[in-house]
Amino acid sequence: MLFIIFFFPVVLLIIFGYAINFDVKHIKIAVYDQDKSDYTRNYINGLISSDYFDLVTYVEDSDEIKGLLDEKVVQAVIVFPNDLSKKLMSKQDVKVQYLIDGVDGSTASVIQNYVNAATYAYSIRLTKEYLAVHGKNIYVPIDLQPRFWFNPELQSTKFLIPGLMGMILIVTAVISISLSIVREKERGTIEQINVSPLSSLEFILGKTIPYIFISLINATIVLAAGYVLFGIVIKGNIFLLLFATMVFLFAALGLGIFISTVADSQQVAFQAANVTSLLPSFILSGFIFPIETMPNIIQVLTNITPAKFYVVILRAILLRGAGVSAFWEQLIYLGIFGTIFITLATIIDKRSRGKN
Amino acid sequence: MKAIEVNNLTKKFGDFTAVNNINFDVKQGEIFGFLGANGAGKSTTIRMLIGVLEPTSGDAMVGGYSIMNDSEMVKRHIGYMSQKFSLYNDLTVAENIRFYAGVYGLDGKKYQERKQWVLKVANLENMENMLTSSLPGGIKQRLALGTAVIHEPKIVFLDEPTSGVDPVSRRNFWDLINDLSDAGTTVLVTTHYLDEAEFCNDIILINAGRLVAQGNAKALKTNYIKNPILEIESDRVVDSLEILEKEKWVGETSIFGNYIHVILNDDTITEKNITQLLYEQNGIKIKRIERIIPTLEDVFIHLIEKDNK
Amino acid sequence: MKTIYHFIIKELLQVKRDKKMLVIIFMAPILQLIFLGYAANMDVDIVHTTILDQDKTESSRNYITSLLETGYFQIDYYAKDYNEITELLNDGKTLVSIIIPKDFEKRINRHQPAPVQAIFEGSDASKASIALGYIQGVTTKFSQNLILETKDNLGMKSPISGSIIPEPRVWYNPEMKSRIFMVPGILGLVLMISTISLMSMAIVREREIGTMEQLIVTPVKTYQLLLGKLIPFTLIGFVILVIVMVIMTQWFGIMVRGNKLFLVFAAFLFVLSNLGIGLFISTISKTQQQAMMASVFAVMMPMIYLSGFAFPIENMPQFFQYITYAIPLRYFITILRGVVLKGMGISSLWIEALILFGMGALLLVISSMRFSKKIE
Repeated sequence: MLFIIFFFPVVLLIIFGYAINFDVKHIKIAVYDQDKSDYTRNYINGLISSDYFDLVTYVEDSDEIKGLLDEKVVQAVIVFPNDLSKKLMSKQDVKVQYLIDGVDGSTASVIQNYVNAATYAYSIRLTKEYLAVHGKNIYVPIDLQPRFWFNPELQSTKFLIPGLMGMILIVTAVISISLSIVREKERGTIEQINVSPLSSLEFILGKTIPYIFISLINATIVLAAGYVLFGIVIKGNIFLLLFATMVFLFAALGLGIFISTVADSQQVAFQAANVTSLLPSFILSGFIFPIETMPNIIQVLTNITPAKFYVVILRAILLRGAGVSAFWEQLIYLGIFGTIFITLATIIDKRSRGKN
Repeated sequence: MKAIEVNNLTKKFGDFTAVNNINFDVKQGEIFGFLGANGAGKSTTIRMLIGVLEPTSGDAMVGGYSIMNDSEMVKRHIGYMSQKFSLYNDLTVAENIRFYAGVYGLDGKKYQERKQWVLKVANLENMENMLTSSLPGGIKQRLALGTAVIHEPKIVFLDEPTSGVDPVSRRNFWDLINDLSDAGTTVLVTTHYLDEAEFCNDIILINAGRLVAQGNAKALKTNYIKNPILEIESDRVVDSLEILEKEKWVGETSIFGNYIHVILNDDTITEKNITQLLYEQNGIKIKRIERIIPTLEDVFIHLIEKDNK
Repeated sequence: MKTIYHFIIKELLQVKRDKKMLVIIFMAPILQLIFLGYAANMDVDIVHTTILDQDKTESSRNYITSLLETGYFQIDYYAKDYNEITELLNDGKTLVSIIIPKDFEKRINRHQPAPVQAIFEGSDASKASIALGYIQGVTTKFSQNLILETKDNLGMKSPISGSIIPEPRVWYNPEMKSRIFMVPGILGLVLMISTISLMSMAIVREREIGTMEQLIVTPVKTYQLLLGKLIPFTLIGFVILVIVMVIMTQWFGIMVRGNKLFLVFAAFLFVLSNLGIGLFISTISKTQQQAMMASVFAVMMPMIYLSGFAFPIENMPQFFQYITYAIPLRYFITILRGVVLKGMGISSLWIEALILFGMGALLLVISSMRFSKKIE
């Protein structure tokens, strides 16, 4: 049990760090070259000299294209018309068609961007060469200089780690606390506690504190692994981070305690914890899927997961080194969230004791 | 004719020997009591006999089949009820009966007949559509036994069937066991209630995996404690016990509520000697002192203490 | 056969009786599919942009207009100076700031390269690089037009050279919507979550309440006991399949282009392999809690991330790509997307189906062997 609690964060971190990668590189392409001229050869060479494209095969017949895309042998097929060089030499514009496997919409649009950019770049090159032959100066009118702040190497991991931390913390906190209380209910030991002079609040605190420690250890493990494996350092104030984490845990444990007062078997508690913490923290926290692209109703629903707010705080502290001014609203929200659920739980707990 | 024959049965879990070279026989149709403290190896032995746990060495014949070689045949001829509740709480009485009857392949007229029998013994006639979880403990226990023998096995194993049941229900339950036995079923029952052991035709006692004693209740009481036993009632029980324990002629002592049982090592000691010791030397008032026939409890405490030495 | 029938009846009765579980079993997949279907969207439709136009000329305005024409960029702020940009980026209020230098137009007219800076809030690497792609596309096209224009201004014969115009055709999903890609994958995911969690609890639960010991003592054969568990859960799996298929087609309007029968058959193989996994978890766990933890953290979460449902397998390092071969969901998602989106059939997907069958059979055999009728 303990093993799973401490071990799985590291495994997930490794999976996230290495396996989840949205950077589209090595796009598998096929070329259907009906022109077979220097133009097309240079164009192809330009494409495959970058990391972005891998030429898998040449197509000799248009009937092959469907099979290649259907079976995911390639992600895109570029089709050069047979009059390409003729048209270019006669100074006409020429269209180069390319077919993209659009099943994965986001990858497809990235591929589309790359092919477009590569095509325009080649077109510019042709024009420049032409100008050079005619003794005109060669220049690129606009020199785009991209800079990436906070994450210069564009590592996905940096972005994912705060979300992962939020998810791990909320899952361990909510699932373990709700299960541990419900287990006492199932075994009947809670009766023992109910007859003892322990007050509702004391009981809940006694249950909560050990899990706060476990969760903090978990957070430390994730941060340490993030540093060792991916070189991620905390840019902001570490005490602010600790404070924000405590507030978040307060909210998460509040939710867990609330579930435990409602559920009466471990199975139900587990499913409830799943539905209220695991899935929302994965789907709705903005951890992987940006909240702003969701439909409005779903955007409103994202507020049910404390992880959403914690992820904002964590990204601010860890990646940008921002201060409390960047996320005080989120902190207050978490505080209110936790207070509401603990209050509800205490009321329900008191009531159920009254019944006995 | 023997229902069960156990030969040199041993079970080891790693270095720990749970059952150590046990031998005993159970006669057809008798109620056989299997006694011992918690963790003595009772459940382990039973689980080997019902074919769900493989012995490390030794063998047993249950209903004529070897548990080593023929455990599936053993299962066809036995019934078993464990200390855990073995019915589905979320099914109704009738659904539980239907399911277990189905597992044993009962159908048609036979099924109807046995179903009525189970309902009768559990006092659940006309209540077969109740949810099992809503039944009181004693009734549940009887229903569990009923379903455990729905296929009319020749041998029934009951592993602490009455733990956690009130005394009236326990008594009713034992009536049911006696009925089964009268009908020719062999019943092997484990318990740690010694009053229940008195109902058994034969008893064995195990301690730390070893067989310590066997025989019927009467034989155990007379064969295992030869020395005289005195029951003493005094106004200061604990003090009396401490004083007596210092004497050489005192073998074992034990407290039963507000009186003490003392097993003497020396036949020549009489009630007078004790009165002298307690009252005249220590001022303890003795209300009653008499020589008694040992109870099963005396015997078992004596045997287990001897064995542990 | 009769014995198995009684097991099936018992199992279905138990499911029927537990109202809370019944709701969860059938509602959870519906909610998950709808939520994930809407939420799992990685399209970068809107790029929050800040512009610092230090040039303020016709050229710079033209450049900004060509950005806006793509429909991707939404200019939230016009910054006055560099400090403001720094602030906006620090607070995460803008994804990209584009800085057009003072001498932008002058340099263009002088045929000197004009440096345009694009500063990204790079925390979300994938978003940033997609946005960069958009900007690069716009900029290259803009550059090319400038060159063509300048040629004209030089008084050369026009046109002096042809240019190559890319013409994309997107197949299967012409609008490149994530949803169309995601929903079939989520369908597989949801089916996996419900079948594995049900099965992994099934046997441990009986062990915890003590009925398993009772069953072991009966003459029931191991295969009868296992089939008695597998068949009802396969049935439940099918009900869930039907529910999620209806939601996919009716709610999300994603129709199955290929052979439905083959899809159902593949789903059956997939459910079997999941039940095999669940059964395996059941045989190694002592308590329900262990089974839950093991199924969620050790099995389902890694499988979700490595199945390719949201994160392309081709982008993973080789080592992780090898691991994905061991994940049934991977094959089922390939089949789902193939049949639903591409209209493929058994002729091109039989390998995946065969692998699913092999995995299901192997898992079931291994866990059945582990599940002997003896206890420890």
